[in-house]
Amino acid sequence: MNRRWSVFSVVNYTLLTLVGFAMIYPFIYILAYSLNDGKDSMQGAIYFLPRKFTLENYAQVFDNARIWKAYQITLMRTVLGTFLHVTLCTLMAYALSKRTLPGRSFFTFYIFLPTIFSAGFIPFFITLQKLQLINTFWVYIFPLLYNFMHIIIIRTFLQGIPEELEESARIDGYGDFQIFLKIILPLSGPVLATISLFIGVAHWNDWFAGAYYVSNKDLIPVQTLLQEMLSEAEALSNSMQRAAQQGGQTVGSVSGAGATPESLRMALLVITVFPILCIYPFLQRYFVKGVMIGSVKG
Amino acid sequence: MIKSRKESRRWIKRVWQHKMFYFFMLPGLIWFFIFSYVPLYGIQVAFRDYTFSGGFTGSPWAGLKYFQQFFNYYQSGDIIRNTVVISLLKLLIGFPMPIILALLLNEVRKIRFKKTIQTLSYLPYFVSWIVVVTLMQRLLTPYGGPVNELLGAFGADPIQFLNNPTWFYQIIVGSEIWKNIGWNSIIFMAAIAGIDQQLYEAAKIDGAGRYRQMWHVTLPGIRNVAIILFILAVGNLMSAGYEQLLLLNGPATASIGSVLDVHAINSGIREGRLSYAAAVGLFQSVIGLILILTVNRIARKISDVSLF
Repeated sequence: MNRRWSVFSVVNYTLLTLVGFAMIYPFIYILAYSLNDGKDSMQGAIYFLPRKFTLENYAQVFDNARIWKAYQITLMRTVLGTFLHVTLCTLMAYALSKRTLPGRSFFTFYIFLPTIFSAGFIPFFITLQKLQLINTFWVYIFPLLYNFMHIIIIRTFLQGIPEELEESARIDGYGDFQIFLKIILPLSGPVLATISLFIGVAHWNDWFAGAYYVSNKDLIPVQTLLQEMLSEAEALSNSMQRAAQQGGQTVGSVSGAGATPESLRMALLVITVFPILCIYPFLQRYFVKGVMIGSVKG
Repeated sequence: MIKSRKESRRWIKRVWQHKMFYFFMLPGLIWFFIFSYVPLYGIQVAFRDYTFSGGFTGSPWAGLKYFQQFFNYYQSGDIIRNTVVISLLKLLIGFPMPIILALLLNEVRKIRFKKTIQTLSYLPYFVSWIVVVTLMQRLLTPYGGPVNELLGAFGADPIQFLNNPTWFYQIIVGSEIWKNIGWNSIIFMAAIAGIDQQLYEAAKIDGAGRYRQMWHVTLPGIRNVAIILFILAVGNLMSAGYEQLLLLNGPATASIGSVLDVHAINSGIREGRLSYAAAVGLFQSVIGLILILTVNRIARKISDVSLF
């Protein structure tokens, strides 16, 4: 090891530590903010830990009927949407993985073509209107049932399963569907986990459909709720905070306890991000592989 | 298509043997027809005066009226320019970042450290743009936000980062990089891992140090992947990222922040001018297609690497 390399090494480790910090710090900060008394937070100077610890923000968020409803919608669409997407894509991928299937390359091209040239938002929107999906729960589910890239990732994985396994099952008298259920599915754990993560996150994070395809307040998912709060909350908290920071009686007026719209919003944000944070590190090994297949084939 | 009778009978038999697999595919074939091909067919509303009762084919013909309307709109020049400027900034600054991250990570010998940084770097990819914007609002606010407090500690005046034309492009590009750098580095890490170790050995014997190895072995090793991803990115040049811009662009930044996607969504879905918005969208798709074909051809000429 020469000296120049160790200088490089120090710089490199420092740089990467900073990158890692930049990725995680915003989440540490909102966690601290959401666990701090709302009025107290307005004085600023919260960095890593709450100053005046309270669970009040979370209590109020969980008490809010609208947030509950939105959380239910998000959970329902994520669970149902993920299940249907993974099932349907896997069936399609299994069929397309059969090299002997007549018309296989035609069908592959048929589902590939729309990825090169898309119709754009408006014809798609009109199609949703004509199908009478607008302003229903199903507008969250149907448009996300299939995805070309996901089908290809699963297909590539399935092609790696030795054909002898299927052959011997066939000799044992298994039908195509039984082979799929008893041989293929149990071996596809990693790829199914990857696709479940991809589509689950897409469902969980989607705010656009809720904002543009749905006007019924009872059907709004959490992300859209957060979006509605964006503009309101900014104006509100800024003016409150400005009032708190200016004016001589700063300490007097802010020292009262209680939640603020901003502290509630941060609590809601933590609840929204938390499930994903818990899941993705464990699937890392699998989705890294999925990304590689996806980009090689794409 | 003329086949001998025997051949076609064999073919039919083979199809029949695979009937279950067609059955597995059937819902998908229908889905792609409805959600991809019907909208493609529906692009013609850009050339029609769309009415709900008339639908895709029954609405009266309007020719190029809506394209003219868009190009005569006093802001259309701005909108096209903004789209290209924002995409180019993201491309020129954002594209090399994951490569740099992958190169730096590749030099790390402590596996635990490397894994930790990688895991952390994927995190922002998994949260929505809503969350990213909410985080930015809170972190960057001049009223008690930690970033401005840090700046204040160095004696700087508080800065209004959001809804401020001076900081708009920095925020757009910065948040884009923050969100996607880790995720986009995955593919480069994979490409680096696929480089033949003997090449490094050979370079070492030739007396190449760390930097020279990086320059002469690692970078050429990920060249093909980079070219493919670059072609794809150029194909997306006409879409500047609608989710991010719907959320971050406000009245204060409209003159430099209005882009084609957002313009189409707002005029179409919000204002109900569907034919007009479809024309804007079609313009965007066609330019995108031309771009991707052009770059693909150039890449094939220069480097023998191409998408198709």
